[in-house]
Amino acid sequence: MVAYAWLVPLLPLAAYVFLLVLGRRAPEGVAAGVSVVCSLASFLVSAAVFRAAASQGPVGPYLFHWLTLGSASISFGFEVTRLNALMILVVSLVSTLVLLYSAGYMHGDERFPVFYQYLNLFVFSMLALVLSPNLLQLYIFWEMVGLCSYLLVGFWYFKPEAALAAKKSFIVTRIGDTGLLIGIVLLYWASGSFDYSTVFAAAGAGQWSLGWVSGQELTTLCALLVFLGAVGKSAQFPLHVWLPDAMEGPTPVSALIHAATMVAAGVYLVARCYPLFQASPGALATVAWIGAITALLAALIALTQRDIKRVIAYSTVSQLGYMMLALGVGAYAYGVFHLMTHAFFKALLFLAAGSVIHAVDTQDLFEMGGLYRKLPLTAWTFLAGALALAGVVPFAGFWSKDDILAAALNTGHPVLWGMLLLAAFCTAFYIFRVYFLVFTGAPRQPERWQHAHEGSWVMTLPLLVLAAMATIAGFFNSPLNGDGLEHFLFADSPQHQIGYTAPENVPLMLLSLLVALLGIGLAAAVYWRPRQSQRPERWARAWGPFYTLSYRKFYLDEVYYAALVYTGKGIAAVVDWIDRYVIDALVRVVGRLVYSVSVLLKFSQTGQVQAYSTVAALGVLVLVAWAMLRAGGVH
Amino acid sequence: MAYFPIPTGSLLALGAILFCIGLYGALTKRNLIIVLVSVELMLNAANINLVVFSRLGLNPGLNGQVFALFTITVAAAEIAVGLALLLAVFRLRKTSDVNDLNENKN
Amino acid sequence: MLAYLNGGMVVFYLLSVCILACAVLLINLRKVIYMALALGGIFLGCAAVYFLVGAEFVGVAQLLVYAGAITILIMFAIMLTNHEAMEPALRWTWRQVAAAAAAVLLCAVLLWTIRSTVWPPSPADVDLNQGNSNPVAVGIMLFRDYAVPFELVSLLLIVGLVGAVILARERKEEDE
Repeated sequence: MVAYAWLVPLLPLAAYVFLLVLGRRAPEGVAAGVSVVCSLASFLVSAAVFRAAASQGPVGPYLFHWLTLGSASISFGFEVTRLNALMILVVSLVSTLVLLYSAGYMHGDERFPVFYQYLNLFVFSMLALVLSPNLLQLYIFWEMVGLCSYLLVGFWYFKPEAALAAKKSFIVTRIGDTGLLIGIVLLYWASGSFDYSTVFAAAGAGQWSLGWVSGQELTTLCALLVFLGAVGKSAQFPLHVWLPDAMEGPTPVSALIHAATMVAAGVYLVARCYPLFQASPGALATVAWIGAITALLAALIALTQRDIKRVIAYSTVSQLGYMMLALGVGAYAYGVFHLMTHAFFKALLFLAAGSVIHAVDTQDLFEMGGLYRKLPLTAWTFLAGALALAGVVPFAGFWSKDDILAAALNTGHPVLWGMLLLAAFCTAFYIFRVYFLVFTGAPRQPERWQHAHEGSWVMTLPLLVLAAMATIAGFFNSPLNGDGLEHFLFADSPQHQIGYTAPENVPLMLLSLLVALLGIGLAAAVYWRPRQSQRPERWARAWGPFYTLSYRKFYLDEVYYAALVYTGKGIAAVVDWIDRYVIDALVRVVGRLVYSVSVLLKFSQTGQVQAYSTVAALGVLVLVAWAMLRAGGVH
Repeated sequence: MAYFPIPTGSLLALGAILFCIGLYGALTKRNLIIVLVSVELMLNAANINLVVFSRLGLNPGLNGQVFALFTITVAAAEIAVGLALLLAVFRLRKTSDVNDLNENKN
Repeated sequence: MLAYLNGGMVVFYLLSVCILACAVLLINLRKVIYMALALGGIFLGCAAVYFLVGAEFVGVAQLLVYAGAITILIMFAIMLTNHEAMEPALRWTWRQVAAAAAAVLLCAVLLWTIRSTVWPPSPADVDLNQGNSNPVAVGIMLFRDYAVPFELVSLLLIVGLVGAVILARERKEEDE
């Protein structure tokens, strides 16, 4: 069955090509139907592949020769490890649900078929990225998912914010992509191959074929460059600024690309290149610190945002930080585990938020309220996702987040653990702030509230499935299941152990549960049934500068603007000056020179034939004289 | 008619002087007719040279004289066309002054 | 020097003086019609020189074509245009100076070259006409050796004639 894994990305590609041929006039039913059927088939194949991988262990890459560069040969193909078997399963499941959901959410959009084209192209690229057997192929699909993200964020390109956000997301991730490309080229240069196995073998042995830098330093450098790519794609600090803006895209896009799959590609990249990172403690520490900073920073920003999607977007950034930290402290399995659970509950939260937005046609939290009575199904599923995110037992997030916390503490990183615990508190607070503001209390805008209603089955069915997954996905790696996922993943490695696993620690579990409940309680106190002394506005005023700092996203956009835009403008001014007064001056001097010469020559052009003939006669005179004297005319 | 041995140099000198006078006239005269006339003068000077050189050289013969005949014919055609052009221009511009025919002014 | 002097040479030098005098007049006269008359004198003198050097046919052609046809044609042209036109008085502009310098210097170079070249003596014993009279010899040459150029020249004359007629024709309003 594993040999048929190529079908997994190919089915969405077929759907993409089919929709491309149908063009933009395709009926909505056909576009959505074909896409959902293809990706459902893709999911079923993935499931079969997953089962086969579980019983067989990793299956060597299936390679085809692509091109020969000098002595090196580059191949393409696919491979199935347990890591990417899990990934394709998650990606194809979420994709199927989002494609189904979009049929309701995008209903009536005049570019509906185009939307489905882009989505199918994205699903294909993402699955192919995951199945890539070498770094070059990975990079190609890495760029393709970036392109699809750009197209989909800017799908409503007629909104200026969407167009700007699309550009921003593309440019900011570009920074990371450039690092990744340099890293890949450097790895190729040093090891002579793009293939994971060759590269990792060289990294493990510290034997690079480059003389000018020591093996250890080169390993660290390459790992950091690859991590830079992951930072861009997974919206880690300091390149996280694009993800919240990317929320300008349609909500299903946010759910699929900016929560469940593409942003997780950075985490997948680090996980896939884990042997490289393991060979460099410095790189691992960097990953851990970047992850922790991102997790805390994004959680703090999410506390005060007014836009429902932005809160969830910052939550995504924060959770991606958790995953990076897990990988950074060595807890490989927990990072991947959290990736999986997060994909489910975050896609759920986005889709539920989309359902809310669809119903009330606003994204401002303070224009909602009391929607539980109108959207009970959405409210319940959102609650499941929120509990999972906050880490309440027994929902998915509890198990994965708790594992990460335990690993951080057990590996001797108390500071990181403290940051994560604080972030967990914030997480519980902000997600339930959203929940209470949206679903409880009195309607803040009755006219919006009045005509809110649940979407059709295509929108509610994905919510239900994801809610189920958000509830139970945690058990895949819980003690109740004998830490099944860890053992599953570790079969990829010959030592049957990758990185670190923490033993069960019940007091820690209780502590993190307590923190989560505290956050929820505080949110309830402020936003659910606030007493007069605890109304949100008073809170905001009481916290004053901190509130503003969080609300303005720690002024990072402004800082970047100042640092980059003003620097760019300064350089441009210098270049402009050089262009104007050095290069143009040279050009002008040449022009002036020619001009003055021609002003002199102008007088020779009298237009009188006799004047010309006179000059010709003088020329003849010179020629005759020369001929007479030189050419031997005179004896 | 009898042949009188006239020094070659004298004949050539006559041709050269005539040629230069014609050249001066062609370069300086304002009237288009006189310019044409000067050109005819130069052609005449060339003819004298041709006739003189037909006696000299390795194979004295009549080639030079035949050439002179051709030149006379071509000159006749030239003056005819030239004068016709002059008339056309005069009808158009009411002048035969070379300077007034300058299209390159202003 | 005097030893070389014979009748022909005396005639030649007299003729040369006449021709050059006419040429100088041509340049210096100011009325256009007088200039044309001076030109006629030059053509006549040249014809005489051709007779002197034994090129009778060329001389006759010179008389007919130049002294006769061309001079008359030029006079017609003068009459048809502004026949009272005067050459302006000589003013030494830059162009005048340059033209005069070119002419004088070219003349000097040519004369100097002629003077410093050793010319082969005229072969008095060679009969250029090969027993015939000069017109007969020229005729034989023209139709034997130069038949094709001769025909081409006749074609040229025809073209010149037609072209002159077309150019000089009074333009009617209707033919654009």
